[in-house]
Formats: sequence, C-alpha cells, structure tokens
Amino acid sequence: MGRIKNLLHARSMSSLVFLVILFLVVGLINPAFLTPSNVSACFNTSVVYTLVAVGMAFTLFIGEIDVSVGANLGLVAAVVGSMLRDGQSLGLAIIVGVVIGALIGLINAWGVAIMKAPSLIFTLGVNGVLRGIIYVYTNGAWVENLPKGFKDFSSVTAVGDLTVYYCATLVLVAVVHFLLTKTKRGRYFHAVGDNAQGATLVGLPTRSTTILAYVICGVMAAVGGIIFCSRIGFVTPASGNGYEMKAIAACVLGGISLLGGVGSVVGSAIGAVIMASISYLLVFMGFSSNYDNAITGIILIVIVVVDALLQRRAIVKNRHARLAARVSSGTEAATAAEGKDQEGGEA
Amino acid sequence: MSRIKQLLTRGQASWNLILIGLLVLEFVVFGAANPKFLRPALLFTSINDNLPVFMIALFVTLVMVTGGIDIQVASLVGLTSITIGVAWQDFGFSIWAAVALAVAICIVCGAFSGFLIAYCGVQAMVVTLGGSFLYSGIALLVSTLSSTESYQGIGGFPDEFKFIASHQVLGAVPFQLLIYVALFAIAFVLLHKTKYGRKVILTGVNAQAAEYSGINSRLVIMSTYVLSAAAASIAGIVLTAYLGTAKSDLGGGLTMDIITAVVLGGTLSTGGKGSIIGTALASFAIAFLKFGLPLCFKVGTQYLNIPVGILLVAVIVGRSAASNTGFVPMLRALFASKVGHGPNVKA
Amino acid sequence: MEAAGSQQDAAKQDGSGISYQVPNTLLSVQNIYKSFGSNAVLKGISLDLCKGQVLALIGGNGAGKSTLMKIIMGIYSADRGEITIAGEKVDISNPKAALAHSIYMVPQEPMLFPNMTVRENIVIGFDEGASELESRLRSVMDEIGWSLDLDRKASTLSIAEQGMVEILRGLMRNPKVLILDEPTSALTFDEVQSLLACVQELQNKGIGIIYITHRLAEVFEIGTTVAILRDGIVTTQGNVFEFTRDDLVRGLLPADASLSSGKARGAARKIDYSQDPVLKVQGFCGYGFSDISFDIYPGEIVGLAGVVGAGRTEMATTIFGMDKALGGSVLLNGQDITGRKTRQVISMGLNYVPEDRFNDGLYRIRGVAENTTSALLSSSRMGRLFLNAKEEERVSQSYVDRFRTKVTGLDQEVGGLSGGNQQKIVIGRAFSTSPKVVILDEPTRGIDAAARGDVYAVLQELRDTGVSILLISSDMEEVVELSDRALVMYQGRIVQEFERDQIVQENLTAAAFGVYQAEAKAVTE
Repeated sequence: MGRIKNLLHARSMSSLVFLVILFLVVGLINPAFLTPSNVSACFNTSVVYTLVAVGMAFTLFIGEIDVSVGANLGLVAAVVGSMLRDGQSLGLAIIVGVVIGALIGLINAWGVAIMKAPSLIFTLGVNGVLRGIIYVYTNGAWVENLPKGFKDFSSVTAVGDLTVYYCATLVLVAVVHFLLTKTKRGRYFHAVGDNAQGATLVGLPTRSTTILAYVICGVMAAVGGIIFCSRIGFVTPASGNGYEMKAIAACVLGGISLLGGVGSVVGSAIGAVIMASISYLLVFMGFSSNYDNAITGIILIVIVVVDALLQRRAIVKNRHARLAARVSSGTEAATAAEGKDQEGGEA
Repeated sequence: MSRIKQLLTRGQASWNLILIGLLVLEFVVFGAANPKFLRPALLFTSINDNLPVFMIALFVTLVMVTGGIDIQVASLVGLTSITIGVAWQDFGFSIWAAVALAVAICIVCGAFSGFLIAYCGVQAMVVTLGGSFLYSGIALLVSTLSSTESYQGIGGFPDEFKFIASHQVLGAVPFQLLIYVALFAIAFVLLHKTKYGRKVILTGVNAQAAEYSGINSRLVIMSTYVLSAAAASIAGIVLTAYLGTAKSDLGGGLTMDIITAVVLGGTLSTGGKGSIIGTALASFAIAFLKFGLPLCFKVGTQYLNIPVGILLVAVIVGRSAASNTGFVPMLRALFASKVGHGPNVKA
Repeated sequence: MEAAGSQQDAAKQDGSGISYQVPNTLLSVQNIYKSFGSNAVLKGISLDLCKGQVLALIGGNGAGKSTLMKIIMGIYSADRGEITIAGEKVDISNPKAALAHSIYMVPQEPMLFPNMTVRENIVIGFDEGASELESRLRSVMDEIGWSLDLDRKASTLSIAEQGMVEILRGLMRNPKVLILDEPTSALTFDEVQSLLACVQELQNKGIGIIYITHRLAEVFEIGTTVAILRDGIVTTQGNVFEFTRDDLVRGLLPADASLSSGKARGAARKIDYSQDPVLKVQGFCGYGFSDISFDIYPGEIVGLAGVVGAGRTEMATTIFGMDKALGGSVLLNGQDITGRKTRQVISMGLNYVPEDRFNDGLYRIRGVAENTTSALLSSSRMGRLFLNAKEEERVSQSYVDRFRTKVTGLDQEVGGLSGGNQQKIVIGRAFSTSPKVVILDEPTRGIDAAARGDVYAVLQELRDTGVSILLISSDMEEVVELSDRALVMYQGRIVQEFERDQIVQENLTAAAFGVYQAEAKAVTE
C-alpha cells in the first residue's frame, strides 16, 4: 500500500500522467493517432533524447549541469560513423565511442570537481572546443555511406512496434533507476545535490560522486551518439547541436530540479518522450510542427514556475512554523497570530 | 605566480590591461603573418560580422553582474528579425513602425522572463532556456504569417533601413560601429556611473544585503533582463539590415560567443563584478582572433570554436583556481560558523 | 532526580579513582586553540567526557561552543591541541574520520536531505543491506520509543521531527560519543520532555553525551557534569550537583564583572522622559515574537538582551520591513511604519545594522565607499540618476575619519578588512541615512576587544547627536556598559525591563535564561 502511495507521489508520476493525457487528448481530437504504431513511433523517436537526458540527469542530481553533451554526441557519432564507413568492426567503434565520451566526462569532472569552475560556463567552453574538433575531424564534410546493416538495425522491432534500441534503452533506464534507488552508492548523487554540506557531515564522498556523475553523463551522450548514427544514417558536422538544451528540458519536464537532489531517471526518460513527440503530436492535432518550440517553451516555463512557487511556499511555511514554535506557548496572542496567518495563507 | 593570481582575481584595471595586451599581441602576430590584417577597411569588415553579437554582450554583462545568466537573447534576435520582416512586408507597416514593434515585443519578452526569475525565484538558467524555446518558437510562428517561405527569408528592404548596416561614415567607418559605440557608452554609463548601475552591482554581490540597504533587488534583477532583451532586439535590427533578409533563426548559435565575451571580459559568473570596458575589449579580442586566424594561418572558419572555447575554459579555470586559495576559503570558513548561529532563511 | 543522583555518584567515583578513569574516558580534548584570521575563538580548551556522562556545555554566543564541536567533528581543524579517544591520540581531519571513531553530532540546524524520505536520510552512508538496516532502525526506534513515518519526505518534517531524525542517524551509528547542539531551542514543551527522556535513556546505555544548551534548567535536569565556556576558555567545570543556578550565572559572567553594580559606564546622561518617545512599539506580533511593547526616547540607548532564538532579531527585522507583521503597531515620531517596505522605513528615519554581517550586511567584494553609501542609493542625496561621486567620497570619508576605520583607501575591498573595521562600515552605512532611530543587532559579535571599544565610543558619540539606539546584544557586559534602560526577551516575549540602576549582568543573565523571576522568589522565600 505504502509503496503504491509512494509511486503516486513521485514527481515522475505527474510527468507520466501528463504524457498519457497528452496522448489521450490527441486521440480525442484525431482518433487516427491512437494506434500502436503511432504511439510506438513517439517512443522510438525519443531514444537518443532519452539516453542523453538520463546522462544529463546525473549531473542535475548533484546540482551541476553539463551543456557539452550535444557536441559530445556529435563527435562520437562522427567518429563511430567514419570508423564504420571505413570498414572497422562495430565492436571497436563502440569501444572507441564510449571511451571518447568517458574522457569528455572526465575533462568536465576535472573542471567542476577539482578546479571548482562554475559548471555551466566550463561545459559551455568544452562544448565549443568539441564543436571545433568535430569540424577538424570531419573536415566539414558529412559522414555518409554507413553500412546498411548498421542503419537498418535501427528499425528492427523487439516488442510490438517498439524498436530494439528503445527496448534496450528502457531496460537500461530500469536498471539505472534500480541502482540509483536501491543501492547504497546510488543515493549519493541525490544526497550531494540535496545538501552538499550535510553529505560531507555524514561522511559521503562528495568529490568522487561528482566525478562519477560527469563520466556517466559523458558515456550516456556517447551511447546516444552511436544510436544517433544508426538511426539517422549520416552525420553532419552540426549533428547534436541543441541536444543539450533538449536534454535539460526533458529532465525538467520529467520533474528534475536544476537545484539538485530531486527527480529520477524515469522522469527524464518520460520527459524525453514528451520532448520528442510534441512535433509528431502536433501534426495529428492539425497544427504544423512549427508550434513545436513554442509549446515546448510554454510547458517548460509553466512547470518550473509552478514548482518554484510551491517550493517557496513550503519553505516560508516551514520557517514561520519553527519561529512560532519558539515563542513561549499558552498565550492567546501567539495562537491568534497563528490562526490569522493560516487564514492569510488560504486566501 | 602570485602576481598572475592577483591579476586573475582582483582589479578590473589590470585585467583590462591583459586584454589590451592580448589585442596588441593579435595585431603584432597577425600583422606580421599577413600585413593585410592591418588594413582598416578589412578590419572594419571583420568587426561588422560580429558586432551585433557584441552589442548583446554589453547588456548581458549587466545580467551576469546580478549573478544571473541569459541564454534566450539569441532567440530574441531571430524574433526581432522576423517580426520586422513580416510586419513590413505582410502587414503593411512602415519599416520604422515595424522596427518599433519588434523592439516592443522583445522588451515584453525580456520583462516576462525577468519577472519569473526575480519574483517567482526560478533559476535564470531554466527560465531563459524555456524562453529560448518559446521565443524561437514564436519567431517561427510569426514567419508562417508571411507569404514568403520561411527558409527563404524576407528581403527587399528599403534603402533607408539597409542604411543602418551599409552606410559608412567618413567613407570608412561602418555605421553599425557607431551604433555599437553608442550602446557601449550607454551600457558603460549605466553600469558604472548611475545609481541604477550601483544597485545592479550591489544586488549581484549580495542580494540579501541589498534588501537590507533598501534596494529593491527584485526589480533590479528583472530590469537587467529587459535591457538585455532590448539589446538583442537592436542587434536583430542591425543583423537584419546587414544581411538584407529577415529570418526567424537569425540568432542561432550566438549564445556561446556572448557568454564568452562577457566572462572573458572579467565579469564574475557568480555576480557582483563586471566591466563594460572589459566586455568590449574581450569582444574585439575574439573578433580579431576569428578574423586573423583564417586570414593569416588559413584556419577554417568552422574551427574557430576551438580557440574561443579554449579561451573560455582557460579563463574560468584560471580564475576559480586562483580564488580557491588565499583568504577566500578563510572567509568561507567564517561564513560557515556564522550560518550555524541562527535561522537565516529568507522569505 | 534519584536516578540522576546515582549517576552523579558513579561519576564521582570515576573521578576519584585513577584506575577507573582511563578506560572510562571516551573523549578528551586538550589545549585546543583555534583562530579565524586575527580572531581567536578558542584559547586552550580542555574537556573530558566519560562513559555514561552527560556533559552540559553552556556559554554565551560566540563563546566558542560550536567551533569546538566542529573541531571534534572534523569540520574545522584545530590550530593547536590534541584529541584523544579512549586514551588514544587521534587525528580527525574530516567528518568521515569522526564518524569512524563513533562520534556523531546532531547539529543545531538539522542537516537533512530535504528531498529524501526519513528512511533514506537515516540509513544513507551505511554498508549493510537494506533489510538489515531496516530491522536495526526499527529496533533502535522501539528501544527509545519513537514512532516516525519513515516514508515521509524530510522537507515535510517539523523542526522537532528533524531533530529526531538527526538523533536516529546518530544512534544508528552506535556512537560512543553523541553531541547535541542546542537540541531543544526550537522544540515545544512536550517535545523537550521526550527528548530529555531519550537523552537519559542513552546515558544509561553508557553513551557519552555532550549537551549544549542555553537553558539552565536543563543542565540540572539531565546533566551529570557541566562546563561553562566564555571567550574561548573553560571558566567553570565540575559535577552538576556541586553548583547552584547562581554559580552557573556567575560562571557565564566575565571574571572581573562586579556583581552588585555596573562599572565602566559612560558619563551619566539625563534622558528627558517627559518628551514624546521617538519609537513607540505597541502589542507588536510577528513570526518568532509576540506582544512586544516598549518606547524609546530621543537620545536614549536601550539595551535588548536575551539568548539566541529569543526572537530579538526577528522583531527587529520585522520592524525594518523584512518580514510580515502579524499585529500591533510601530510608531516612529508619531508616524505609523508598521508593515512598510524597508526602503520607506529607512527614508522615514529608522535604520538597522544586521546581526549577520556576512550574509546581510557586507558587499564583500566591493569597496569601502560603495558599502558605506549603499543605503543612500534610494535617496536623492547620491544624485538623481547619475552617481554623485563627490558626495559618495565625502560621506564615506567622513565615516572613515569619524570611526577611525583602518582602510588603505575608499576603494579597498571590505572582505579583506578585520571584523571590527567591517562592522564600523556597516554601522556607518546605517547612520549615513540620517536616521532618528538605529537598531544595532549584535554590533560587536566576533570582533576583538580593541575594536569593540572603538564601536562603543562611536555609539556614544552618535547618541550624543540625538540619535536613539536600540542595542540588541547577547553580550551582557555590553548592555551594562551602554544602556540607559534595558529590556530582556525570552522565548519571543519581553520578560523584564530594567531601569539604569538595575542593569547589572546577573539580572540580565538570569532574565535572559528565563530564571529571573524564580530567583526573586527564592530571595523572598
């Protein structure tokens, strides 16, 4: 019972409800939407966003940010794509891609955890450098002519109309969620973001947690790059541009706070589906996909503003309650003041 | 070593000297490598490409001095551009009425985001991320109101409008450089010479202390986003006139250049310190770097993100490394002991 | 009381036989020194804690209690001195090391993870499996008889419940030493009782407890030994039953304080009480204080004493427009300033020097002039639109001269100044707006004796210009030295008002600790 209640109270739950309502509303407007293949398509298109957003979630959990994931994804996609084009084995390409992602994660971790640079600006700089490196590596040309089998694998389905990629991603999200919620170290990420000072006080390794978060984020972006390569079939020097912002938006939509300590990877996965399917849904609702960004922006702003206002109210209420508790009790004045405040709060 | 540390952490004057040194170095190195670099006509052209970006950077400096960040300005450039185009071509506005409309819309957008940041307490990063989606989305929707396909862009503006970018004062100095100089003067006087600028700085150092000094820190914070939005709209006007076409995605990808110019100019990302002169010097250093490398060393223009990114990363790491030793940690320790003494949650 | 008595006997026996003392001494700190910059906070502290002892640690604000505890927890490192645990010298360089030595501190402000559940908050950082932890947690909770919904989010807990979670966190670590830093300051009466019962339970299990408190009653209720800290040294130490309340009050006072009458006062000043009061507070209620009434007359310095958490700062900041007033009125020169915005309150003639210099007072990375004139930015004196640089220089230079602030120039960053000079700048800022009333909140906290003298001189000089001052201070000596009249707040209310000849440290201290009435009664009986 308690477990179900917990589940319902989870922040990711409201995102899921939002997603379901979104699908139902679109279905009401245009019943043609509600077919397994259409709904699956929404999930299938979100696979790269999901991977990047799950990685991003780790840096957000600890209260930092990583805006280099877009370029990270682009670079790995370019490297893996060109290796496959040149006939290298898939296994080697994947290893190289993941190692590149991990290295980028380590560089970011060095800047943020060791040098204590502000994460937004540091990773913004890394993003710029990586973008340049993509041009150096590709010489500005597209990476094309990837092996057909590699490209075709992206449309192979596993369960119903869901692709192997999406199913594998779902399994990954489930495993990561399990590790984060059920293991000892898994909780450290949230703890560090929630109250870094408190984390130190109970003896948690805050620095290595930060480093690990960035490495995971880098690796997830790299995996996203490999899948991107397979799904799109070619890589341009601009590939992955803007993915960092979409990933952050997906995380926020999924209930993750940029202040750290709040949210789950399941939430970021759901947020990624919302992000990815908005343009698809708009078509079914008879709007052009031109509304995509505007609607994303509105949803994002409304969600964070409502969240911030609710949180601020809770903080003020808490503070007032504890101040009131200090006043010696048993007098009418104090209780009257209390009552008055509560009325004020309701109004 | 300690001298370098000093230069990095304190004294805008000495930091400006470093930037001037960087500029001189650029002139010497690039001038020696290719004397063409020193031709005024070429130099002015090179600046022209970058000027709109740096107009925005001047006022984003104010935002960052308050400790915030603004990543929505790039989308406002596009919104301005397309609004001018559509209002002029499709709604029969005179060109100057269209310009006024675009500026007004941008100011409203800036005020909206600023309000959410200052009065609802949402992080600037999230709000302006949402804003960048929303305003670029609106720009796209505005473009659909036009009879011209959005990818083509709206052209054929009257000469009096193109005058903004094409006119050359005294036969050599581009008119938009004069606009930049005017904006520079306004920003400089505003931040360094007026009571308003002082309030911006003090709010950035310590918003709570500002409240105790009777400064309306929220209004101050909100106003900086209005100013940066207004600057973005002016940049949008100049860029539209310069390119001769109005497009909705005109400002895409400018964010990193803007933030780099501000941070390289000596503004603390944590707020409280910043210099318009520094931002201007940094802007020109970046502009000449971007002009000189391709001209003198045949570096492809697409690779230019690498040096700019490295510059950003080096400055931010150097600065935080310098400030993490010395008496700052000591102050922090004192600070921590203070926090323990009583409740200090601000409503 | 019987149980406590037998405990005390046990403690006494421990003390008498050396062979018993060694195995039973859990924690011993010797000659601990600690300074922050030029400010010496701990000047050679030595304390011992044995098994089953409750060491009640009392002392005024800034006496160094919290700093000492943070050193024991490895948050700060001591400049000198050593810590031994069970007879072995140890090096505690971070909280992890302290935890490894079975020391746990329940901090004054709970350090929970607000977005985690109670369960997660308690079990985080343990190596055991989840089910094992769960059963251990259940048994710990059963043992002390607490029931807490483990699935609640920590942010929804009351402050008392947060304290309980912190204590459970500590108990789960099977501590040998448990430090409780003012655990009852935010609790209601019932909660205090259950907490005290819990402490006694732990004590019976042989855990050594350091109990920091402001409430003398609690010392007698649960303490076995008591130590008083003042100005970074232990002034009094011994078994609780050896002391009376008066002894403790005396121990809290400076060694040279004369108990019968105030000394070192400024020349007597005649305050004209027939004038209209310049500040009239009536039935004023707000968050953290209630039903406050008092008057301040022109040219008067009124001391407001009390311990931290008594509601003094909350009252002052509410008058200053930083928080919502819930009732009553504040009249400044007959004008109603209740519920006005800070800007308006300043322009109407009241200013405030915040208690927390670092968070609310200083712009650390800006210069002396910018700091001094920051409160003038809302008035036209600094120019209408453009900054009047001349006026800025004139005003800030005048306060630098008047207060003899040691600066290298008006553009020197105030973060690099000493505490005393920083405080002079904040005070100068408050007086720059030509106020009629200034509220100073702990103006000499954390600054050295010489600077303190300077600040006193400055205040007396300013008072002579006709400004009225409300001086909030936990330093009773300061209240005695400066005040024409003194008010004492305790648990959110003004419990006592003292006329000039009654302002002596023992009266103030007794009232601040809520025992003034009781004392008076004792005398009459």
